This record gives sequence, structure tokens and C-alpha cells, in this order.
Amino acid sequence: MTKKEIIDHIEGEASISFDLNEDNHVDFATIVFPHFRGMEAILKGKPALDALVITPRVCGICGHAHLMATVRALESAYANAGLEITISQKAESTRELTLALEIIQNHFKWIYLVIMPELRKLVKSDEIAPVLKGAFAASIATKALAIFAGQWPHSSYMVPGGVTCDITHVERIKAEGYIDELIRFFEKDSLGMDMETFLSFETCNEFSSLDSDIGEIEKMLKEANMHTLGFAHDRFITLGKHSFTQIAKGIQTRLTPIEHKFVSTEKAYSPTDMSYAKNALYKDTYYEAGPLSRAMANQVPLIKNIHRRFKDSAYSRVIARIHETAYLLRHVKNLVQTLDLSEPSVIPPIDIDTLSGEGVGIVEAPRGPLIHRVKIEKGVIQEYEIITPTQWNIGCSTKDKLTPAQVAMKGNSISDSLFIFRTFDVCSVCTTH
Amino acid sequence: MPYASSEKKPALIWLQGVTCNGNSHSFLNLPYLPQLLEKYEIIYHPLLEGTSTLHELVLNKAECDVLIFEGAYDPLMKRHNVSLKDIVTHYAGLAKYIIAAGSCASFGGMFKASAPERNTGLILNESEPQGPLLVIKQKVINLSGCPIHPEWLGFTLTMIADNREIPVDELNRPIELYSRLAHHGCTRNEYFEWKVDSKAFGLKEGCLFYEQGCRGPMTHASCNHILWNEVNSKTRAGTPCFGCTEPDFPRKNLFTTKTNMSIPVDIPVGISKRSYLALAGVAKTFHIKRLEGKLIDEKRNN
Repeated sequence: MTKKEIIDHIEGEASISFDLNEDNHVDFATIVFPHFRGMEAILKGKPALDALVITPRVCGICGHAHLMATVRALESAYANAGLEITISQKAESTRELTLALEIIQNHFKWIYLVIMPELRKLVKSDEIAPVLKGAFAASIATKALAIFAGQWPHSSYMVPGGVTCDITHVERIKAEGYIDELIRFFEKDSLGMDMETFLSFETCNEFSSLDSDIGEIEKMLKEANMHTLGFAHDRFITLGKHSFTQIAKGIQTRLTPIEHKFVSTEKAYSPTDMSYAKNALYKDTYYEAGPLSRAMANQVPLIKNIHRRFKDSAYSRVIARIHETAYLLRHVKNLVQTLDLSEPSVIPPIDIDTLSGEGVGIVEAPRGPLIHRVKIEKGVIQEYEIITPTQWNIGCSTKDKLTPAQVAMKGNSISDSLFIFRTFDVCSVCTTH
Repeated sequence: MPYASSEKKPALIWLQGVTCNGNSHSFLNLPYLPQLLEKYEIIYHPLLEGTSTLHELVLNKAECDVLIFEGAYDPLMKRHNVSLKDIVTHYAGLAKYIIAAGSCASFGGMFKASAPERNTGLILNESEPQGPLLVIKQKVINLSGCPIHPEWLGFTLTMIADNREIPVDELNRPIELYSRLAHHGCTRNEYFEWKVDSKAFGLKEGCLFYEQGCRGPMTHASCNHILWNEVNSKTRAGTPCFGCTEPDFPRKNLFTTKTNMSIPVDIPVGISKRSYLALAGVAKTFHIKRLEGKLIDEKRNN
């Protein structure tokens, strides 16, 4: 028997066809992302700097990651062409700060607008989830972000050689004020304890002390048996170079170095529906990407402990994302406090119209590695390729070679599978760019 | 007074065409979001919980007083296996007001390029009258911008809920929001006044209009009057205005000003080229020392 479900209230729309076995559990799931926008074709023939305006519009929730991938791709093209390109530590830290703030706003929305309501449905709670808490927290994060970037969504404040803003202490202090407000909100309204204590957790047993939204999420995850469900391949990947994560691939807990040249894509398996997605692979193998992978690469004690007990279950995936919210809040606080404002915002490289060559920009977006590859001829884009995190996690392949999301849903009831699907934080708009 | 407090709240549906979701996310930044949502019955929103599922929605089962449409309109696109054409036609017919949220829904915008021969806005194809709702265009309010500014949408939804009139310009945009230029309130105005250009990106000083492509003086938008995220704007953060509220967005060469004999080809709205040249010529003869270097350094030297 086959049952088709349309998934909304994700970023965009997806549909899943479930082939069910005799006890109505998922034998095979086919995932389809139907809406295509042709971003790579739109970029072709455009002046290279215009990509800084176009690519953030790939995605309304992680456009800033696309901006940073573009600026890194252009800077890498400069470097590969033997042209001088340097950026100050101030510009680098500012980029890291705003990128991390975008990840934080994403996680707050996912916790309150997706995970909490879906978990309450799963454990049959009648209470309405406090979804607007997610919007409120995200709006504080984006205020801090906009002090540097001018606005969120759809900022274009990163340019080759640095950032367009010229921050003074007045603005730096204001941004720190918003970050402090957000940390207070997280402690008081989400965690129910101070963030440093939470960050010192070493085992999931310590969650039992939390009488709060996060405490409730953890309890509901266990009540729904999510620590025993939703296992992917136990293979992890991080590719973006940042101040807040390591680059590595992991098979279980064993980490090994990685080179982006081994990343490839293949067309998603799509027997009936038209899907525009492509799957992303490393050396022809599927890996899970995102906060759980970053926590494994960073060897976070709490997440390593949880992984030892519950592997890469849906539970581990959700807790890793909650942990990353706290981890990045501490990180942005540190970045904003240590910004050295005496450095230049931009070190202008030579005019991009003289640039011919190829470049790659890799960034850790909220859901994992985002790769932009660009080919430029005299400042004009010849080719542009975008590989997004959801292409790692939620590809669609054949039965003999399941993607992380497909294998995680296999063997479960439809309602459990639909929740497990959402633990990957699905971004359909990015996938079908 | 159709929506007085004793009566039923207006039913709101938020529907998406070809989009990045940026308008939905921008709306969540509205400072008074909880209070605004109290004024409506949310039937469907892509991110917030509504009273209907997308499935019920596409079966035409829901009520609709206000329809918000986000994204470019592609007649062949399907939502939940039903064509956008059928869904939009049905709910636009029911609605008293239809809001095009963002530049894609208003003019085709960024995602007109996804299928240039068929994607349009609801009543305009760039600036040409064309689109599925042209015959009922008096019901349509265009809130252009890429993305939509949350407070512009907050304003429009509050005015509707309060049963107040919203006068619109020739592109069906509320005059109160789009009569100013993005230039209005820009912190670089003193540099514009004395024709001092910004020497490079990454500086607080200098105007971005002369070399860096800024469209602020030619763009109808209140970005520097009603700040983004309540704190900032592109031009304040050193990024040129890209003219994202106008029908020709996205233009090409967004970081470069097109010039003729080092004078910008496009000049501020409402000023004759001759007057602009005369004024610019005079202003350029002044050399104002305090506008030449970094402001903070200059103060230190005094």
C-alpha cells in the first residue's frame, strides 16, 4: 500500500510517498520537492557582484548563509587567479557574528514553530504551543544582526574584501544589549536555568532538573520514544570553515579530515512526480549534516554522551540543535565583546571586472554545509552551482542506497516518520533553488 | 463598521506562489505581531498555526476576508496538487482586500526570471497592467519590497482591521508608505547635499549615489524612515539601496552607478536634469574639510 502526504509548515512544500508493509510501517519513502525557481540560471551572465544581491533570495530563513557563501566564492576566485585578497579580523569576526545570529534565529523558530507543536500533537497534548515565543526570540536575534547587516532578511552587506558597515562602539554596545536580552529570554523563557549551567551538562539525565519549555521538549521526545527511533547512517559531515565548528567527517565517533573536492551531486530518485532536487554526496556516500554533525565534530561532551546512548536518533538530532542555540549565543556574546574596531571594514581588492577564474565558497548554514561554486570571465558569471544542506539530509534515492532522511523514516509509523522528517529541519526552498 | 469588536474577526489567508519565504519570515519580525494577530482569525499561514490545513484550503473550504499573496504568480504552479490559478481566483473572489506581499507578488520581482514568459505579479507585470487579478485591481494593495517590510504589512493589516481607508499610488501601493524615497532619512544625506561620494565600501562617510550604485533618491520606500528590524537600513550599514520596491527590481550592475561624464545617468525623482546639474556643479565647488575624512578622526584633531 502507498500513502502520500503533503508536508507544509516547513520552509516551502514537500511531499512524501510512503510504501507501507503489512503492519502499516514505512518500508520505503519517496520524497519530492516540487517547486523549482532556477536560481543558477538566473545568475548566469550577471555581473559577479550582483550575486551578492541575488543569492540571499534563494532562501528567506538562511539567506545570510547564501550571502556569505557567495562572498567566499568570489574571494576564492580572486585568490585562485593569483590576485591579492585579504580581509581584516574585524570583517571576519563580523561575518561570523551575523552568520551565527542567523543560525540562532533559525533554531528558535524551529524549536517553537515546528518541534514543540509537532511533539505536542505526537504525545496527544491539547495545549497550544507558544509559537510566538519563537518569533519574538528570532526578532531579537535579527535586530542584533541588522545593526551590522542593515536588515534581515536579505542583507547584502558582505563584499569581497570585507563588510560594508563601519561599526562604532555605540552600535557594538547596542548589539551586545540585544544579545544579552536574547540570552536572558533563553534562560528565563526557554531553559528555566542559567545558560552556563546548561552548557556544562554532560548527560541527558540532567535535563530532568528543567521545568521549562526545553525540559518539556526533552520529556516529550522520550515519551514519544524518539531516542529509539529515527536513526540515520551514523555518518556526519561539516565542511564550512568557522570560529564555531571543526571541519570533519565522522563515522560514528571516528573523525577524519575532509576535502570539498570529493563532494558531488546526483539527480534525486523520482519515479512518478517531478522533483527538482539533487542529492549531495561525499565520495559517493550519504552523510548527515547540521547541528548534530557540528556537535560531533566539536566533540561536545553532552552530545557525545547522548550519542553513545542513543546514537543518531531523532532525540539526539533535536537535543543537538537546542544545545547549539546555547553554544552559539555564548559565541556571539564573545565575538561582539572582542571586536577590534580599529581595523578596516573593507580592504578593497582590484576591480572585479578584471577577474577571470573559478571559486568555491563553503559555509555552515543552519542546516549544514552550503556550497557555492562560481566561474567568472572578466567579472561576469559564466556558471554558478549551489549545493544546500537539505540536499545532504533529505535527498531521495533508491531502496538500495537510502539517504539519511529515508533511512531514518524506515520501519516507523507514518506519524512518527513525519516527525522524524521534521527533525532534520527541512528547507524545501533551498533544495529546489 | 464591518469589523467592530463585537463582531467576527476578519479571516486571513496567506498563500504562496514562487517565493523564497522571505516575506513570511520578515513578517515574524513585526514588533507588535501578537497584538496584530489578535485582530484576525488566521486561517492559513505558511509558518504560523492556522485553523485550516493546506489541504482544506485548496479544496476551497475556508473563509477569506483578507488574502495575502507572497511570491510571483505562476499560473501553472500547483499547491497541494491544485493549480495556483484555481486557488487564487477562488479566494480573491471572496476577499474584501488582497495584499501582494513583496515585490514578486507586486511586479514579478526576482522570480519573474524563473519563467519570464508566464510569471507576473497579481495585477502588474513589472509596471505593465497584467496579472490574474487585473479585473478586480481595486481590491489589491501592492506592498513591494524584497522582502516586504514587516511594519508596512503591519500598517496595512491594522488599517484594514480598523476599517480605515488606505489611499494608494499609481502602482496600488499605500501612499503613506511609498510617497517618501529610500533616500529620505538616510544618515548620509549631508554627503549627498554637498556631493561628497563615498571613497569605498566600509565607511560611514560619503554618499553611495555617485559611484556605488545607490538607488535611494530614485526609489519609493520608507526604509530610512521606518527602520528595518527597528534598528537600521541598508544605506546606513554602507550597502547601496538596490531599488527593491520598484517594478524594475532586480536591475543589473547593482553595485555600480551608471554615469555619463561622471554624472549619474539616473537622477533624483522629481528634479530636472538641468537643475540637478546646476546644483551639483555649485555644490562641488565647495571643499568642506569636515566631510573629507573620517568624522570621528576629524573631531579628535580639533
